[in-house]
Amino acid sequence: MPLAAFAALLLEQKANRSIEKMSRKKAVSLGLLTGLFAALFGTILEIFITLITRQNDIVTTFPELQKMIDTFPLAGEIKQDVISLFQSVRNEIAEHGFSWFYTFSLFVNNFIVDPVFGAIGGLLGLQIINNRNNNSQNNFYE
Amino acid sequence: MPRFVKLILFLITILWLAGIFSEWLTRINGDILYAVPILRYTYSLVCHQIKDRLISRGGFETMVCARCTGIYTGAAFSSAILLFLNFKKRPEIKYLFISAIPLVLDVFLHTLGVYHYSKSIAFMTGLLLGSVGFLYLYEALNRLFIDIKNGIK
Repeated sequence: MPLAAFAALLLEQKANRSIEKMSRKKAVSLGLLTGLFAALFGTILEIFITLITRQNDIVTTFPELQKMIDTFPLAGEIKQDVISLFQSVRNEIAEHGFSWFYTFSLFVNNFIVDPVFGAIGGLLGLQIINNRNNNSQNNFYE
Repeated sequence: MPRFVKLILFLITILWLAGIFSEWLTRINGDILYAVPILRYTYSLVCHQIKDRLISRGGFETMVCARCTGIYTGAAFSSAILLFLNFKKRPEIKYLFISAIPLVLDVFLHTLGVYHYSKSIAFMTGLLLGSVGFLYLYEALNRLFIDIKNGIK
Protein backbone atom coordinates (compact mmCIF):
# COMPACT_ATOMS: atom_id res chain seq x y z
CA MET A 1 0.00 0.00 0.00
CA PRO A 2 2.75 2.55 0.82
CA LEU A 3 4.38 1.78 -2.54
CA ALA A 4 1.03 2.24 -4.30
CA ALA A 5 0.62 5.63 -2.62
CA PHE A 6 4.16 6.59 -3.68
CA ALA A 7 3.32 5.54 -7.25
CA ALA A 8 0.17 7.70 -7.07
CA LEU A 9 2.28 10.74 -6.14
CA LEU A 10 4.68 10.07 -9.00
CA LEU A 11 1.84 9.65 -11.49
CA GLU A 12 0.17 12.84 -10.28
CA GLN A 13 3.37 14.77 -10.93
CA LYS A 14 3.81 13.17 -14.34
CA ALA A 15 0.19 13.87 -15.30
CA ASN A 16 0.59 17.54 -14.38
CA ARG A 17 4.16 17.70 -15.79
CA SER A 18 5.20 19.28 -12.55
CA ILE A 19 8.64 19.50 -11.00
CA GLU A 20 7.41 21.75 -8.21
CA LYS A 21 7.51 20.66 -4.61
CA MET A 22 4.33 18.87 -3.61
CA SER A 23 2.50 20.02 -0.49
CA ARG A 24 2.17 17.69 2.47
CA LYS A 25 -1.62 17.97 2.50
CA LYS A 26 -1.79 16.93 -1.14
CA ALA A 27 0.52 13.97 -0.51
CA VAL A 28 -1.53 12.79 2.48
CA SER A 29 -4.78 13.26 0.52
CA LEU A 30 -3.46 11.24 -2.42
CA GLY A 31 -2.18 8.54 -0.07
CA LEU A 32 -5.51 8.37 1.75
CA LEU A 33 -7.44 8.26 -1.53
CA THR A 34 -5.20 5.49 -2.84
CA GLY A 35 -5.88 3.51 0.34
CA LEU A 36 -9.60 4.19 0.20
CA PHE A 37 -9.88 3.09 -3.41
CA ALA A 38 -7.85 -0.04 -2.69
CA ALA A 39 -10.09 -0.78 0.30
CA LEU A 40 -13.27 -0.16 -1.68
CA PHE A 41 -12.34 -2.30 -4.66
CA GLY A 42 -10.72 -4.96 -2.50
CA THR A 43 -13.80 -5.25 -0.30
CA ILE A 44 -16.28 -5.27 -3.19
CA LEU A 45 -14.29 -7.87 -5.12
CA GLU A 46 -13.85 -10.07 -2.07
CA ILE A 47 -17.57 -9.97 -1.25
CA PHE A 48 -18.52 -10.57 -4.86
CA ILE A 49 -16.13 -13.48 -5.34
CA THR A 50 -17.25 -15.04 -2.05
CA LEU A 51 -20.89 -14.65 -3.11
CA ILE A 52 -20.32 -16.38 -6.44
CA THR A 53 -17.89 -19.12 -5.40
CA ARG A 54 -19.09 -19.62 -1.78
CA GLN A 55 -15.41 -20.02 -0.94
CA ASN A 56 -12.88 -17.80 0.77
CA ASP A 57 -9.98 -17.92 3.23
CA ILE A 58 -12.22 -18.65 6.19
CA VAL A 59 -13.85 -21.63 4.46
CA THR A 60 -10.63 -23.11 3.08
CA THR A 61 -8.46 -22.57 6.16
CA PHE A 62 -11.08 -23.48 8.78
CA PRO A 63 -9.51 -26.90 9.58
CA GLU A 64 -6.15 -25.18 10.18
CA LEU A 65 -7.86 -22.56 12.31
CA GLN A 66 -9.41 -25.32 14.43
CA LYS A 67 -6.02 -27.00 14.89
CA MET A 68 -4.40 -23.68 15.77
CA ILE A 69 -7.02 -22.81 18.37
CA ASP A 70 -6.84 -26.31 19.86
CA THR A 71 -3.12 -25.80 20.58
CA PHE A 72 -3.78 -22.73 22.76
CA PRO A 73 -3.32 -23.42 26.50
CA LEU A 74 -6.71 -21.98 27.42
CA ALA A 75 -10.00 -23.18 28.90
CA GLY A 76 -11.92 -25.47 26.56
CA GLU A 77 -15.00 -23.24 26.81
CA ILE A 78 -13.32 -20.21 25.21
CA LYS A 79 -11.76 -22.35 22.50
CA GLN A 80 -15.11 -23.99 21.75
CA ASP A 81 -16.81 -20.57 21.62
CA VAL A 82 -14.28 -19.22 19.14
CA ILE A 83 -14.48 -22.32 16.97
CA SER A 84 -18.31 -22.18 17.03
CA LEU A 85 -18.27 -18.52 16.04
CA PHE A 86 -16.05 -19.11 13.03
CA GLN A 87 -17.83 -22.34 12.18
CA SER A 88 -21.11 -20.43 11.89
CA VAL A 89 -19.40 -17.84 9.66
CA ARG A 90 -17.98 -20.65 7.53
CA ASN A 91 -21.39 -22.36 7.29
CA GLU A 92 -23.11 -19.11 6.30
CA ILE A 93 -20.57 -18.52 3.55
CA ALA A 94 -20.68 -22.12 2.31
CA GLU A 95 -24.50 -22.03 2.25
CA HIS A 96 -25.34 -18.48 1.18
CA GLY A 97 -22.03 -17.06 -0.04
CA PHE A 98 -22.44 -14.23 2.46
CA SER A 99 -21.90 -13.56 6.16
CA TRP A 100 -22.61 -10.29 7.97
CA PHE A 101 -19.82 -10.91 10.48
CA TYR A 102 -17.29 -11.60 7.72
CA THR A 103 -18.43 -8.63 5.62
CA PHE A 104 -18.29 -6.28 8.59
CA SER A 105 -14.81 -7.38 9.66
CA LEU A 106 -13.60 -7.20 6.04
CA PHE A 107 -15.00 -3.67 5.73
CA VAL A 108 -13.52 -2.42 9.00
CA ASN A 109 -10.12 -4.00 8.38
CA ASN A 110 -9.75 -2.77 4.81
CA PHE A 111 -11.06 0.74 5.45
CA ILE A 112 -8.76 1.30 8.41
CA VAL A 113 -5.52 -0.40 7.36
CA ASP A 114 -5.39 0.59 3.68
CA PRO A 115 -5.96 4.38 4.09
CA VAL A 116 -3.56 4.56 7.06
CA PHE A 117 -0.77 2.80 5.19
CA GLY A 118 -1.64 4.82 2.09
CA ALA A 119 -1.22 8.06 4.05
CA ILE A 120 2.10 6.80 5.47
CA GLY A 121 3.26 5.98 1.93
CA GLY A 122 2.17 9.45 0.81
CA LEU A 123 4.13 11.19 3.57
CA LEU A 124 7.28 9.15 3.05
CA GLY A 125 7.01 9.33 -0.74
CA LEU A 126 6.61 13.10 -0.53
CA GLN A 127 10.02 13.47 1.06
CA ILE A 128 11.64 11.40 -1.68
CA ILE A 129 9.82 13.26 -4.47
CA ASN A 130 10.48 16.74 -3.06
CA ASN A 131 14.13 15.88 -2.52
CA ARG A 132 14.34 14.75 -6.16
CA ASN A 133 12.48 17.85 -7.41
CA ASN A 134 14.70 20.08 -5.32
CA ASN A 135 17.78 18.53 -6.93
CA SER A 136 16.21 18.86 -10.43
CA GLN A 137 15.45 22.53 -9.85
CA ASN A 138 18.97 23.17 -8.55
CA ASN A 139 20.42 21.49 -11.66
CA PHE A 140 18.07 23.55 -13.86
CA TYR A 141 19.29 26.81 -12.38
CA GLU A 142 23.00 25.93 -12.44
CA MET B 1 4.67 18.46 17.85
CA PRO B 2 2.73 18.63 21.12
CA ARG B 3 3.59 16.01 23.70
CA PHE B 4 0.09 14.49 23.63
CA VAL B 5 0.32 13.91 19.85
CA LYS B 6 3.69 12.21 20.33
CA LEU B 7 2.10 10.06 23.02
CA ILE B 8 -0.81 9.09 20.75
CA LEU B 9 1.66 8.16 18.01
CA PHE B 10 3.63 6.07 20.49
CA LEU B 11 0.48 4.32 21.74
CA ILE B 12 -0.61 3.53 18.18
CA THR B 13 2.77 1.96 17.34
CA ILE B 14 2.77 -0.03 20.61
CA LEU B 15 -0.79 -1.23 19.99
CA TRP B 16 0.10 -2.30 16.45
CA LEU B 17 3.17 -4.13 17.78
CA ALA B 18 1.12 -5.76 20.56
CA GLY B 19 -1.30 -7.07 17.94
CA ILE B 20 1.59 -8.88 16.25
CA PHE B 21 2.16 -10.80 19.49
CA SER B 22 -1.54 -11.31 20.27
CA GLU B 23 -1.19 -15.11 20.36
CA TRP B 24 1.17 -14.72 23.31
CA LEU B 25 -1.20 -12.19 24.90
CA THR B 26 -3.91 -14.86 25.13
CA ARG B 27 -1.93 -16.17 28.13
CA ILE B 28 -2.73 -12.90 29.93
CA ASN B 29 -6.33 -12.62 28.77
CA GLY B 30 -8.02 -15.61 27.16
CA ASP B 31 -10.71 -13.41 25.54
CA ILE B 32 -8.08 -12.12 23.12
CA LEU B 33 -8.45 -15.50 21.38
CA TYR B 34 -11.71 -14.20 19.82
CA ALA B 35 -9.70 -11.51 18.06
CA VAL B 36 -6.81 -13.73 16.91
CA PRO B 37 -8.37 -14.95 13.61
CA ILE B 38 -9.54 -11.41 12.80
CA LEU B 39 -6.14 -9.95 13.63
CA ARG B 40 -4.54 -12.60 11.44
CA TYR B 41 -6.62 -11.25 8.55
CA THR B 42 -5.78 -7.63 9.46
CA TYR B 43 -2.05 -8.28 9.38
CA SER B 44 -2.44 -10.28 6.15
CA LEU B 45 -3.08 -6.89 4.50
CA VAL B 46 0.49 -5.81 5.32
CA CYS B 47 2.45 -9.07 5.26
CA HIS B 48 2.66 -12.33 3.28
CA GLN B 49 2.53 -14.35 6.57
CA ILE B 50 4.49 -17.26 5.09
CA LYS B 51 4.49 -19.80 7.93
CA ASP B 52 8.19 -20.61 8.08
CA ARG B 53 9.06 -16.90 8.21
CA LEU B 54 6.94 -16.14 11.25
CA ILE B 55 8.65 -15.94 14.64
CA SER B 56 7.40 -18.84 16.73
CA ARG B 57 7.98 -19.92 20.30
CA GLY B 58 6.07 -22.07 22.75
CA GLY B 59 3.47 -22.99 20.13
CA PHE B 60 2.64 -19.36 19.40
CA GLU B 61 3.45 -17.38 16.27
CA THR B 62 3.70 -13.74 15.34
CA MET B 63 1.04 -12.32 13.04
CA VAL B 64 3.68 -11.09 10.58
CA CYS B 65 7.03 -12.36 9.33
CA ALA B 66 10.32 -11.74 11.14
CA ARG B 67 11.21 -8.85 8.83
CA CYS B 68 7.93 -7.04 9.35
CA THR B 69 8.16 -7.70 13.10
CA GLY B 70 11.57 -6.01 13.01
CA ILE B 71 10.19 -3.04 11.05
CA TYR B 72 7.33 -2.44 13.48
CA THR B 73 9.57 -3.03 16.51
CA GLY B 74 11.98 -0.43 15.13
CA ALA B 75 9.12 2.01 14.60
CA ALA B 76 7.87 1.48 18.16
CA PHE B 77 11.40 1.91 19.51
CA SER B 78 11.87 5.20 17.60
CA SER B 79 8.46 6.48 18.68
CA ALA B 80 9.44 5.81 22.31
CA ILE B 81 12.69 7.77 21.94
CA LEU B 82 10.93 10.63 20.17
CA LEU B 83 8.67 11.11 23.20
CA PHE B 84 11.66 12.69 24.87
CA LEU B 85 13.63 14.13 21.96
CA ASN B 86 12.93 16.84 19.41
CA PHE B 87 14.35 17.11 15.94
CA LYS B 88 16.45 20.21 15.46
CA LYS B 89 17.39 19.43 11.87
CA ARG B 90 15.53 17.61 9.07
CA PRO B 91 17.21 14.23 8.46
CA GLU B 92 18.66 13.88 4.99
CA ILE B 93 16.78 11.47 2.75
CA LYS B 94 19.97 9.54 1.95
CA TYR B 95 19.94 7.96 5.43
CA LEU B 96 16.57 6.36 4.64
CA PHE B 97 18.05 4.75 1.54
CA ILE B 98 21.17 3.72 3.44
CA SER B 99 19.08 2.05 6.15
CA ALA B 100 17.16 0.13 3.46
CA ILE B 101 20.35 -1.33 1.90
CA PRO B 102 20.82 -4.24 4.37
CA LEU B 103 17.17 -5.23 3.94
CA VAL B 104 17.30 -5.09 0.15
CA LEU B 105 20.59 -7.00 0.15
CA ASP B 106 19.18 -9.66 2.46
CA VAL B 107 16.12 -10.17 0.24
CA PHE B 108 18.30 -10.22 -2.88
CA LEU B 109 20.89 -12.65 -1.49
CA HIS B 110 18.52 -15.21 0.01
CA THR B 111 16.33 -15.08 -3.13
CA LEU B 112 19.44 -15.93 -5.17
CA GLY B 113 20.12 -18.78 -2.76
CA VAL B 114 23.39 -17.41 -1.38
CA TYR B 115 22.08 -18.37 2.05
CA HIS B 116 18.88 -19.69 3.58
CA TYR B 117 16.33 -17.27 4.97
CA SER B 118 17.37 -16.28 8.47
CA LYS B 119 14.73 -14.88 10.82
CA SER B 120 17.41 -13.12 12.87
CA ILE B 121 18.90 -11.32 9.86
CA ALA B 122 15.42 -10.48 8.57
CA PHE B 123 14.45 -9.09 11.98
CA MET B 124 17.62 -7.01 12.33
CA THR B 125 17.41 -5.53 8.82
CA GLY B 126 13.74 -4.75 9.43
CA LEU B 127 14.58 -3.21 12.81
CA LEU B 128 17.10 -0.85 11.18
CA LEU B 129 14.73 0.27 8.41
CA GLY B 130 11.77 0.57 10.79
CA SER B 131 13.60 2.67 13.34
CA VAL B 132 15.14 5.01 10.74
CA GLY B 133 12.03 5.10 8.53
CA PHE B 134 9.88 6.13 11.48
CA LEU B 135 12.06 9.23 11.96
CA TYR B 136 11.09 10.42 8.47
CA LEU B 137 7.44 9.66 9.07
CA TYR B 138 7.62 11.54 12.36
CA GLU B 139 9.30 14.50 10.69
CA ALA B 140 6.66 14.55 7.93
CA LEU B 141 3.82 14.36 10.48
CA ASN B 142 5.45 17.10 12.53
CA ARG B 143 5.61 19.42 9.50
CA LEU B 144 2.06 18.49 8.49
CA PHE B 145 0.94 19.40 11.97
CA ILE B 146 2.70 22.78 11.69
CA ASP B 147 1.15 23.37 8.24
CA ILE B 148 -2.34 22.66 9.56
CA LYS B 149 -1.72 24.89 12.57
CA ASN B 150 -0.56 27.74 10.33
CA GLY B 151 -3.40 27.14 7.86
CA ILE B 152 -1.08 26.47 4.92
CA LYS B 153 -2.66 24.72 1.88
